[in-house]
Amino acid sequence: MTERVDRSETTPLVLEARDVTKHYEGVTALDHATLAVSRGEVHALLGGNGAGKSTLISIISGVTMPDSGAIALDGDVMASSGPLAAISAGISTIYQELSLVPALSVLDNIFLGREIKRKTLGLPLTSDRRRMEREVRDLAADFGVSAFELHTPVSEFGALKKRSIEIVKALAFDPKVLILDEPTSGLEDAERQVLFGYMRSMRERGVALVWVTHHLEELFGLADNATVFRDGRTVATVPMASTSIDKLVTLMFGSDREEFGGGDTRKIAHLKPSVGRRVVLSARNLTRGTVVRNISFDVHEGEIVGLAGLAGAGRTEVVRTLIGLDSLTTGTVELEGRRLSLRNSTSAYRAGLAMLPEDRKQLGILPDMSTAQNISISRLSTVTKWGFWMSRRKERALADSYRTQLGIKTPDVDARIGNLSGGNQQKAIVARCLNTSPKLLIFDEPTQGIDVAAKVDVHALVRDYAAKGGAAILIASEIEELLELSHRVLVLKKGQIVGEVRDIPAAIEAGDFARIKSEVLTLSAAGQTS
Amino acid sequence: MKSSSPFARIMSIPGMPMTLVLILAVVVFQLLNPVFLNGSTVANFLTNGIPIILITLGVAIVIIGGGIDLSVGTVAGLSAGTTMFALVQGAPLAAGIAVGCGTGLLFGLVNGFLVAYLRINDFIVTLATLNVAAGLLVVLSQVRPLQGVTVPGFAELTKGSVFGIPTSLYIAGAIFIIAQLLLAKTVIGRRLYAVGISAQASNVAGVSVPHLRLFTFAASGLLAGVAGVLIASRLGAVQAFLGIGYEFIAIAGAVIGGITLAGGGGSVWAALVGGLFLATLQQGLRLNNVDPVYFSIVTALAIVFGVVFERQVRGVILRSALHRTALFASNRAKPAEQDTAIATIERSHDNGK
Ligand SMILES: Nc1ncnc2c1ncn2[C@@H]1O[C@H](COP(=O)(O)OP(=O)(O)OP(=O)(O)O)[C@@H](O)[C@H]1O
Ligand SMILES: [Mg+2]
Repeated sequence: MTERVDRSETTPLVLEARDVTKHYEGVTALDHATLAVSRGEVHALLGGNGAGKSTLISIISGVTMPDSGAIALDGDVMASSGPLAAISAGISTIYQELSLVPALSVLDNIFLGREIKRKTLGLPLTSDRRRMEREVRDLAADFGVSAFELHTPVSEFGALKKRSIEIVKALAFDPKVLILDEPTSGLEDAERQVLFGYMRSMRERGVALVWVTHHLEELFGLADNATVFRDGRTVATVPMASTSIDKLVTLMFGSDREEFGGGDTRKIAHLKPSVGRRVVLSARNLTRGTVVRNISFDVHEGEIVGLAGLAGAGRTEVVRTLIGLDSLTTGTVELEGRRLSLRNSTSAYRAGLAMLPEDRKQLGILPDMSTAQNISISRLSTVTKWGFWMSRRKERALADSYRTQLGIKTPDVDARIGNLSGGNQQKAIVARCLNTSPKLLIFDEPTQGIDVAAKVDVHALVRDYAAKGGAAILIASEIEELLELSHRVLVLKKGQIVGEVRDIPAAIEAGDFARIKSEVLTLSAAGQTS
Repeated sequence: MKSSSPFARIMSIPGMPMTLVLILAVVVFQLLNPVFLNGSTVANFLTNGIPIILITLGVAIVIIGGGIDLSVGTVAGLSAGTTMFALVQGAPLAAGIAVGCGTGLLFGLVNGFLVAYLRINDFIVTLATLNVAAGLLVVLSQVRPLQGVTVPGFAELTKGSVFGIPTSLYIAGAIFIIAQLLLAKTVIGRRLYAVGISAQASNVAGVSVPHLRLFTFAASGLLAGVAGVLIASRLGAVQAFLGIGYEFIAIAGAVIGGITLAGGGGSVWAALVGGLFLATLQQGLRLNNVDPVYFSIVTALAIVFGVVFERQVRGVILRSALHRTALFASNRAKPAEQDTAIATIERSHDNGK
């Protein structure tokens, strides 16, 4: 691709990555990568899992030092001396993995290292929380963080809210360059739109935005240009106006890949209808304080039940009680007719449940263990001799088979999982769940951070699992994904089931996708006044 | 760091730098005082050191699982007391040993139960049981003088030798081998490290965190019990305040061996090396006629030294590796950047343990 972007000739480049190379043990994360972003531009940074996007971002943000190459800000090469220097130079970053300090309040997190001080005894010792609150109150409210919540420790919130807090933190300081590494993963449609609104207004004010996403359909109408990485190299920079999803995907994965979904709903798997099938899980009157209220439902053999709802509707809370992580106030759960004790996750796993958690960094990976060890941990008996003696050979073989099956990109399954790219970590956790051969599998945002190619693979795995008679509960904030995978969707609101949409595969096949989608959305929002 | 030298790779094995320091310490003490490596001195020194090294191993297991056990010292003391008491009352040898080990195990189980199932902070729980055990030993020693055991075989546990090697060395060796296999090769060991790395994530993955916690405290208690039996055998008499302060040496040994208090890292080897190092240090000082009053000061300094040392050695290796890469790279590498980079690498390395 030789097309150059017109704007870059007229408007000055704000941010430039020149020939950046970064090696890690056994991996070339970046190989003479380049990136050029001008003032007032939304620049998409695209590439498959492990392409090197996050690595470049951490170099630009001063967290990582490149082996060679340079980062230039306003034409001057930055003497990158750490993240704080980058921040004060005007680079604001929303990292892919949540990076808030759990024990601090939301407000203190937002202002961490940049506190507004008040003079006590003539010295600027104490933070002026009142002023700090005033500065970000409106911004925070736009992302659903109330003034009260600003003073609550971050540890009290779920992954979704933390994501919003990260966004507020990055937007709060009028940066020159704003970098967003998969900012929308796990966000509701409404919140996405709010974020996009902010991105537009920042662009208007001349901020240069770098935006990493795997949701290619989001790009149109917002991104101006896109730079595509593949295996650490810059493949091309193209203006969004003259490209399409298919072209981008080809750039990302090479021409030998077939086309991918990308929000396309035509390729619905032919899920067998679930009528008359055996009930696998039967939940009755699940109640946990006020967050989960009187929830009853069944999941049948070979059926995927989707849970829809807005942020705070209680979807994650419901599945957490099923797997025994949170205790119920009242209610019972039966798995294949046997009552579950729900005392702890171990008995849930033993009974045949498994869960893919939404918060990969905190609840998913065991960062200091290898990929192989992360895959086997939920069911060690698959990699042992005599049931208790670990077999390295079996463990490697298991991990290698999932590595090929899911395309986990790592030089070695014995390498530390914390060093893998986000999407590849996610794939390993998917493998971990599948390895337990569960009777009921709970997916909480199964494809977050996964690239479009791998997403197709994971969807295929989920369907395959159901086709073989497995039952699943699915939470996905992306409604297209939810509908494409579910037989039936339960809509939650304020901890209660407010509606149900049945026979989704049939409806989609009949061309009713739009109707079903609006039905679910209406139900999720309905009763807003009640 | 593609071009890490064999030396750098060996040194990056946790506990390895400390092993070299241990060897160095032995050499230095040997030069200072040639009796140091004398056969009988070594045998004597090992029998003296073994109980505390076993306690170190126990604490290390708890620390790897992400907890802490402060009660080990006085529990070992009490176990020595109960063994003595049983034998003085006329119990046979096996029963006496069982009583001592059982005392330790019981305390471990109580600790574990309170921490794992009632979710009380382990620091608080074991601080409490530390004092309970200490108090019980005082009571016990007032009931009967804990000495004068003539049961055949008891003193031989530590004073006897087979093929010229002290008996207690066989016992300790067997325990260390079992612990090593348990931690490195079995399902329990795997789960132990998982819980230490992240109890939350382990819980979500279906690992039974409470069971594991219970296991670590039980193991630590049992090892303290065994240590107590050996102490009783070696001393032949148990004083009312036996064991107080041992927990400090044990935790210090674990830390010096390179076991991070954050949990999830470390090994049986690291505990052994750390424990041995402290024992060597004390022995060396003793042989060179240093007043025992200074031992605890030296131990404390050794902890600080050990922690800094582990970190520095790694820093130096990384630094040299970085310089090598920097030679090939452009001339961007200003000292300040290198330091940031080193700090970053070190951080990731620290996590990597
Ligand atoms: N600290 C590290 N140590 C070793 N390898 C690393 C480290 N950080 C990144 N890598 C490797 O560098 C490559 C690029 O990773 P990076 O996180 O930049 O990918 P990415 O494009 O952000 O992918 P994703 O879309 O999955 O987030 C990956 O192969 C990854 O395993
Ligand atoms: Mg990334």
